Amino acid sequence: MTEHRSDLAEQKLSTLTLDGELVEFTKGETIYEIANRHRKEVPTLCYDERLEAFGACRLCVVEVEGIRNPVASCTTAATDGMVIKTSTEAIEKHRKTLLELVASENRNVDVNALSGYSSQEMTILVDRYSARTGRFSGKQSGTSNTGDKNPFILRDYDNCISCYRCVRVCAEREGDYAINVMNRGFHTQIITEFNNDLRDSNCTFCGQCVQTCPTGALGDKKALRDADTEGEIKKTRTICPYCGVGCSVDMLSKGDKIVGIQPAMDGPANEGALCIKGQYAFDFIQNDDRLAKPLVRREDGELHECEWDEALDRAAEGFKKVKDQYGRHAVYGIASGRAPHEAAYTMQKYIRATYGTNYIDNCSRS
Amino acid sequence: MPSESNQALIERWKDEPAPLLPLLHAFHNRDGYLSDDAIKAVSEGLRIPLAELFGTVTFYHHFSREAPGKAAPRVCTGNICCLHGGDELLESLKDKGATPMPCAGRCDDMIPVIIGDKAYVGLAKDSLEHRATPVPAPNPGGSSECLFAHIREEGRNTLPGYRATGGYSALEKTLKDSTPEALIELITDSKLAGRGGAGFPTGVKWKAVADAPGDPKAIVCNADEGEPGCFKDRAIMDHDPFAVIEGMTLASFATGAPLGFIYLRYEYPETERLLEDAIEDARASGLIGENILGSGHTFHLYVRRGAGAYICGEEGSLLNSLEGKHPFPRNKPPFPVTHGYNDKPTAVNNVETLASVPHIVENGAEWYRDLGEGDHAGTKLISLSGDIQRPGNYEVPIGLPLSTLLYEWAGGPKEGRTVQAVTMAGLSGGFIAGEDLDITLDEPSIRSKGSFLGAGGIMVFDDSRDMVKAAHDAMNFFAHESCGKCFPCRIGTQRMTERLGGEANTLEPSAWIAEIEDIGSTMMSTSACGLGMAAPHVTKSLMKYFPEQVEAFLAKG
Amino acid sequence: MSNPLADMEKPDVIFAIGTNMTECHPVAATRLKRALTDGATMVVVDPRKTRLAKMAHLHLPIRVGSDVALLLAMAHVIQRDGLIDESFIAERTADSEAFLSHIQQFTPEWAAEICEVPAEDIERAGKLYGRGNPSAIYYTLGITEHICGVDNVQSLCNLALMTGNLGLEGGGINPMRGQNNIQGAGDCGAVPANFPGFQPCDNPDNAAKFAKLYGRDSIDAERGITKVTALNEAGKSIHAMLIDGENTVVTDPDKNHCEHALKSLDHLVVIDIFLTETGQLADVVLPATAWGETDGVQANTERRVQRLRKAVEPWGEAKPDWWIVSEIAKRMGTPGFEYESAKDVFNELCELSPIYAGLDWDRIDEGKYHWPVPDKEHPGTPRLHEGEFKNGMKGLFKVIGYRDPAEVISDDFPLWLTTGRRLEAYHSRTQTGRSAGIEYLLSHESLEVHPDDADSLGLVHGGMAKMASARGEIEIQVKVTDKSPKGTVFTSFSFANVPVNILTGSGYDPVTQTAELKVCPVKVTPVA
Repeated sequence: MTEHRSDLAEQKLSTLTLDGELVEFTKGETIYEIANRHRKEVPTLCYDERLEAFGACRLCVVEVEGIRNPVASCTTAATDGMVIKTSTEAIEKHRKTLLELVASENRNVDVNALSGYSSQEMTILVDRYSARTGRFSGKQSGTSNTGDKNPFILRDYDNCISCYRCVRVCAEREGDYAINVMNRGFHTQIITEFNNDLRDSNCTFCGQCVQTCPTGALGDKKALRDADTEGEIKKTRTICPYCGVGCSVDMLSKGDKIVGIQPAMDGPANEGALCIKGQYAFDFIQNDDRLAKPLVRREDGELHECEWDEALDRAAEGFKKVKDQYGRHAVYGIASGRAPHEAAYTMQKYIRATYGTNYIDNCSRS
Repeated sequence: MPSESNQALIERWKDEPAPLLPLLHAFHNRDGYLSDDAIKAVSEGLRIPLAELFGTVTFYHHFSREAPGKAAPRVCTGNICCLHGGDELLESLKDKGATPMPCAGRCDDMIPVIIGDKAYVGLAKDSLEHRATPVPAPNPGGSSECLFAHIREEGRNTLPGYRATGGYSALEKTLKDSTPEALIELITDSKLAGRGGAGFPTGVKWKAVADAPGDPKAIVCNADEGEPGCFKDRAIMDHDPFAVIEGMTLASFATGAPLGFIYLRYEYPETERLLEDAIEDARASGLIGENILGSGHTFHLYVRRGAGAYICGEEGSLLNSLEGKHPFPRNKPPFPVTHGYNDKPTAVNNVETLASVPHIVENGAEWYRDLGEGDHAGTKLISLSGDIQRPGNYEVPIGLPLSTLLYEWAGGPKEGRTVQAVTMAGLSGGFIAGEDLDITLDEPSIRSKGSFLGAGGIMVFDDSRDMVKAAHDAMNFFAHESCGKCFPCRIGTQRMTERLGGEANTLEPSAWIAEIEDIGSTMMSTSACGLGMAAPHVTKSLMKYFPEQVEAFLAKG
Repeated sequence: MSNPLADMEKPDVIFAIGTNMTECHPVAATRLKRALTDGATMVVVDPRKTRLAKMAHLHLPIRVGSDVALLLAMAHVIQRDGLIDESFIAERTADSEAFLSHIQQFTPEWAAEICEVPAEDIERAGKLYGRGNPSAIYYTLGITEHICGVDNVQSLCNLALMTGNLGLEGGGINPMRGQNNIQGAGDCGAVPANFPGFQPCDNPDNAAKFAKLYGRDSIDAERGITKVTALNEAGKSIHAMLIDGENTVVTDPDKNHCEHALKSLDHLVVIDIFLTETGQLADVVLPATAWGETDGVQANTERRVQRLRKAVEPWGEAKPDWWIVSEIAKRMGTPGFEYESAKDVFNELCELSPIYAGLDWDRIDEGKYHWPVPDKEHPGTPRLHEGEFKNGMKGLFKVIGYRDPAEVISDDFPLWLTTGRRLEAYHSRTQTGRSAGIEYLLSHESLEVHPDDADSLGLVHGGMAKMASARGEIEIQVKVTDKSPKGTVFTSFSFANVPVNILTGSGYDPVTQTAELKVCPVKVTPVA
């Protein structure tokens, strides 16, 4: 017990100086995590908080007293008594140079925001650092894979900056290891095994690579169908309608058109993960096959469109008739495992309150 | 002999330590290249995801993916060989499928051409000859040597020869009379420091490994001598291999590591065979393996051959490569002394460092310290190459004036020429020229000029050489070898190479210079490993010593 | 699930049985993959070489429907090797003596004969599960869709009880719910046995309470009949049905029987977003709002209660399900349906359900509660059975014996057919089939046949075959693959043009009346 307390005391004692301010931290935290907690806006491009820190982009470097070179804050664990400066003239100059360099290797800096959840990260940083200078022009890195005709994932590697977030999310979060990096240096290229199409790899089209890509090099082809559709992108937080995991998503819409889905990084069940169905299988909603009006079966034996009142009256009349003719145990309700609580609740209440029976079930037995 | 099946090869290697590289080599040797089928088999056999394995295979320069593959000549087009016709030799062998390779570590005996597992040398297609690595010339200064003290003796690279010239007495003595603590103290006291270039005190490193929790610990000999203009480790391994093995065995005793690897660069094929045989002979004589010399100490040693990647000389990359991972450098801390091979405490030491150890044990710490000039402790091997009368490996007392080495020991520049510049640390230290050549061969002196001694490769450029081209070739090497992980190095080396190659000469000279300076400054300050931090020494020193050559280059437009 | 999804990253040993998780619950599977990366050991029991099976340290491709035998033998090994948790058994369980003596006869060698896997693999599985600290069980419909579904689940409970793997972080028994709100349907009382919040119908106090709440003199204080019984009774005692959002005709077993049942009703009202095969049999079809068109609540497999939100206006004149049902109720003269929003409905549920008592519409905004949440101060219950079982009850061991499936292979029907799902398709594809791009990956149904079977039956990859069971026959394209073991063929039920549920329906679990969709003897012959 005493030991436990001294542990706590020790933990509490961990402090460092962050831009002149004494701050506490817990052992194991990185400088970046602490700086982020104190809203220091340290820039990054290779960082995704769900992934192991990688240390590629070097934008997050900070000065630590007593260490000659700046250190990458994302990969450096804080130690007691560190004196850290997150933003000095020299550091800011390096960051701008890095952003100018990274902008120089891409075809374009601006990409459509429908490309993916993180797709604006580089654009925002380049603008924040006024790095659209055109300096360091030269060869572009990465070669777009235009041969891959999959309908979900755009592989526009001309805009790839080799941050490996896609490779890492596929391995660390999704566990699919479908993609990796070929060659080295400026010639690095994100590929599947043997540089084939995604369909022929271990890829499950979960879209995680797309959503973590900070440049739109990997883009959501389905959402980009509406790149030119009028209207602001609206995001509505909801839950995926497929399996029982209950992944949180943001539904993207322009006006009344659903244009895409993005995972909710803070979704409690999925923590940013999705699968092919949740990510890409939403076209059924605004689909011409949808029932637009109620249908009733008329004398000709066929179903015909009608107004709500007629349909509801017909529905109720039929139930009344059966109840009157056969008694209250002649009516049965089957609720849906797909519809919200309110549907199931009103269904069971309808049966129990109207007929006084428990003649209600749902489709979990199929 | 019928070729072995995929399954047989996998069975042979899958339960060995660090199996990926030898298994890939086994397939590469069998087929001459790594087929899709082979990569799939390895992926399944070692349970490495296919895409990851494919990516890793493509990282290495020397793994071929198609015929003629391994059988095709690889011609050194390193910085020095190119000054002596490397490109032309490559061209003349194109009909045989020849491809270029970066500096293959034989700048004292040019031009190396690797065909299969044989290294040939010669200046022209018709004069290619298979011959042993040159033995270091007798010390021209008559100074006392450590590493080369016995290397020239007949039979030194055989076990009987090694023992006849005093070999293994250090190990015998230590196992019999000493303790790990005492050995570490002795090495610390000798002031032996990392001779691969980092200069970290060896005794301190060993103590850190000995004290770190976690088993099994490991000793890794960094024999990935990839720095252009460096060929000293090759001389040691080829002519005094048991010194390395004995040094590693002593290191294993000091640190309590039962496991060791020699990570050997691809370009030394004969050396691999030689080391394997030496280890086998040592094992047969009870000098390695279980219960060495009845002491109860166990040390198993394995040779692992790289496949052509300069970055694998960086210890994090080397460890990743050994473990079968993509050979990116690791983020530090943690350091290998606590999280090395398989995340266990590991001492990564250079060949030269380890080979010094038996001599130090034999002769004492004071003896070793006194080998240096003045306050400097010990000796350093220098690989001297380029425009110099007598290129080769020299063991110099640390602190020897550079001019003594260049003019007295190595005979000065070629007839009628003067020394325009030398490189330091192979290429990583950039150039030193003019009055700054008046330095001594020790880190403080060289660092005062903005460079460093590093692994001890010195290339000489005489006054006939175009230094902008020399800088371009150097930067081109770094660009070729950049692993691609961190942005400043990956993009910076490329942009520097383009600029030094005249691809950006439309820029105003002031803008050109500003770009080079900004890239260099950011690379030096923010790169993730030594490659990116060091590469800008090339441009920095070019602009410092040769502004008029840069001006003329830019004026050409 | 007894444990939260987050616990799936924490087991020492993973025992996954009858769950094709990477295809059916891909996001949950990512957590298991992370556990594997962190050093967990995984045992997968599945007749097929699924992706999960390939990742496993030990894969037991048992013969379909032989789960109980395997689990008995594993229990045998655990007891024999002294891997039982004596103190857990003593403190928290009952009826252990009968169970522990019962399992002594079921050796791995005995089970190996039935399961058609080596006895040593059964040994290993038992030892791994028994030694794991903790071990976690994951299962899906491969366990429940059998005539012995309840026995299967109970056998898993026995394993967890005897090893004390309940109420532990990273342990537990974790069924993965297949539909987005199947958990919620039960929570809300849309079951014949329970009122909302799992308050049993056969408890007269509950029946009286709900009668009062719902403005009636009485509600039957006995369980209602199940859907399966109701369909059997269609045209006999059942004459009208209200079906919400279920394509019964395609997804239920024995399609012909089901279609006939619905046709024999006097009155069928279907609420759905499409005119499904079931809707086509209805007298009235009412268009419901789809995902993104309405607010609502759903509960996931870890009992987490989360909000759905409206993003766009509904398609055409579609209305929320709750509105439609309420309008019918009002027209029936039933009181208590004057809701103005989904919020009103949900808040009423919370008031009537003890497990939701601490919740309301606003409190579940961030989705951080797992039920039960008995009061407003309660933090929710991510992990069940910690410290004690519900109301301090004992965990009961059940003595279970192995039974053959309802139908077994014979000369007439010599192959086992097992059915399941695929990653890219959901149920009867009313949704995924209408989403652009899915067909690029999965354009048609196929029957997985082992190469040896294909050879002996004269089937060729890509060719058509006729597959028949005792109930009917269909045509299907053949895919030759060693994913399915020799003697077993596999297909999904997702494509309406390959109505595999014409064949299934050999039997039902006597307790739950869940259909044996996972086992159906068939005969497969090439179509010229």
